[in-house]
Amino acid sequence: MRYGFAIDTQRCIGCHTCSVSCRMENNLPKGTWWNRILTDGGEEMDTPEGLFPDVAMSYIAVSCQHCANPACVKVCPVGATYVDSETGVVRQDYDKCIGCRMCMAACPYTGVRSFNWEEPKYVIDFSIGGSDVPRHQKHVVEKCTMCWHRLAKDEEPACIRLCPERARFWGDLDDPESEVSRLIREREVMQLLPEKGTEPSVYYLV
Amino acid sequence: MSENTRATSSPKAPAAKFGGRGLNVAIVVAALVTVAGLALWFAQLSGGMVQTGMRNLDSWGLYITMFMFLVGLSAGGLIISSVPRAFGMAGFGGISKVAVWTSICCTVLAIGFVVVDLGQPLRLWELFAYSNLGSPLMWDILVLGAYLILSIVYLWATLKNEAGKVSGKALRVISVVALVCAVLVHSVTAWIFSLQQGREMWHTALMAPWFVSSALVCGTALVLIVVVALRKASYLDVAQAKVVKMLKMLGAFVLVDLYFFGCDLLTEGFPGGPGVEVVTMLTTGSLAPFFWGEIVLCAFAAVVAFVPALRRNGLIVAASVAGIAAIFCKRVQLLVGGFQLANIADPGVMAQHTVTNWESGMSGAYQGLVYWPTPLEFGVALGVVGLGAFLLLVGLKYLPLKPAEESR
Repeated sequence: MRYGFAIDTQRCIGCHTCSVSCRMENNLPKGTWWNRILTDGGEEMDTPEGLFPDVAMSYIAVSCQHCANPACVKVCPVGATYVDSETGVVRQDYDKCIGCRMCMAACPYTGVRSFNWEEPKYVIDFSIGGSDVPRHQKHVVEKCTMCWHRLAKDEEPACIRLCPERARFWGDLDDPESEVSRLIREREVMQLLPEKGTEPSVYYLV
Repeated sequence: MSENTRATSSPKAPAAKFGGRGLNVAIVVAALVTVAGLALWFAQLSGGMVQTGMRNLDSWGLYITMFMFLVGLSAGGLIISSVPRAFGMAGFGGISKVAVWTSICCTVLAIGFVVVDLGQPLRLWELFAYSNLGSPLMWDILVLGAYLILSIVYLWATLKNEAGKVSGKALRVISVVALVCAVLVHSVTAWIFSLQQGREMWHTALMAPWFVSSALVCGTALVLIVVVALRKASYLDVAQAKVVKMLKMLGAFVLVDLYFFGCDLLTEGFPGGPGVEVVTMLTTGSLAPFFWGEIVLCAFAAVVAFVPALRRNGLIVAASVAGIAAIFCKRVQLLVGGFQLANIADPGVMAQHTVTNWESGMSGAYQGLVYWPTPLEFGVALGVVGLGAFLLLVGLKYLPLKPAEESR
């Protein structure tokens, strides 16, 4: 089994709902975004490239790519980041991480790993989201867990559930009958930085 | 020379006495700087690393730059002193013990810089409990540790050899092992960077040999500075011919280092692909001051080394300082350059932990240097360097490092 995502860039409207639902579900500290919506267009967010009327703009949601050949896992000196062999999810153990940030240097996907540069601070003074989300710690690296706590309850990741455009799909890439496998088979797909050889588990339908 | 006693009685030793008040004051100052650095480090740990200039998109900074730099400085001294012995050539007369002691101090410093960079230094023990032997960082920790122990053994064996307790053959074997280890230390440190396919600037096979050549440049330069300074302070006496020989080696190493740089730039730039960005960033982009600084400093060092009329003590020290500064410039280029080119530079939500200059958006953050250290980082770095100076001076004061023999 290898869980992965298919994200339909034709449907994505750049509303950031998946980013925000990720922040809420995982009780992310201030300044931390595990899933970011990038504008594929002009210099600034939400601006198109080109001159009117020949303009183009689309969005790509970028979070941990849960690679089958992850650069981060190889370099972690203590094995705090590792691949779960049953699901293919790239995991991060906060209690083990020594905060050397080798994984952040190794990961080619800019900005998907984040470090808690201070004692985590929150917008509101009580925890929100999943009750079984591990507590955030100062000075350790964290990233998208694929909502591991939800997978354990046979639930899909939070970003999938709340997308208003139904642009995000999640499932088993090894199962040819799964919705993601079917979409990847039937649609034209793109992956981020395939030349780096990391074999990401996130496919973008274009 | 026959005397095996400590060199104070050597007929060649100059009349003036080394040490005394000046050295004691220097030791106290170095100790105070170390303590101040420790206090700042605790401030960094308790208040959070948010006080540094590092952020998610530029997650390493001054500390790792200094780590790279000091690993280079350390092995240079050891290589300079062990090569002649390993190959049975005439050495640099008496300076090898000082050179090895300098190496030991630099190795301690390099380890110190990794420790201050860690978010969770109290979890260091995990490195030995849960070692992932596939990680280049783990290799580095093992090799650096082995190297530190070997350097100490090598120094001890040299001293015992002078006292007639360790055979020359045994010492030679130790020097060969130390030499291999020194080369390994550089290669492994280079691999921390060069094995990462994710960063355009780092991913080059030339990195490891290039690290060795850079180490030879700044290691030789450091030994030269220490030797000229200690001669001036009447700690030891070294013939000018030996100093000049070392200076010529410095010149040769500088040229090898520049040659490697040229090879790497050509290979990056020629295909016209993403590597062009690296070349542009260095030659005309945000890292240009460090790039051209390195070139000019290297050229100066080489000129002093190869023009006989210029080989005066003042200029020899200036050329050595230039060589060390040039290699430091290179370390900055390597570290910041790795982060300066974002693989995915599309604009998105920016927050206070995303990148150093996050307020100016994605394009603004990469306009100048993506990373610049904060005063706290400079303070902690100074404290670590203070620890090194403290060790070096205490060693000079209490360890029998003066030359006891003339041949090697």
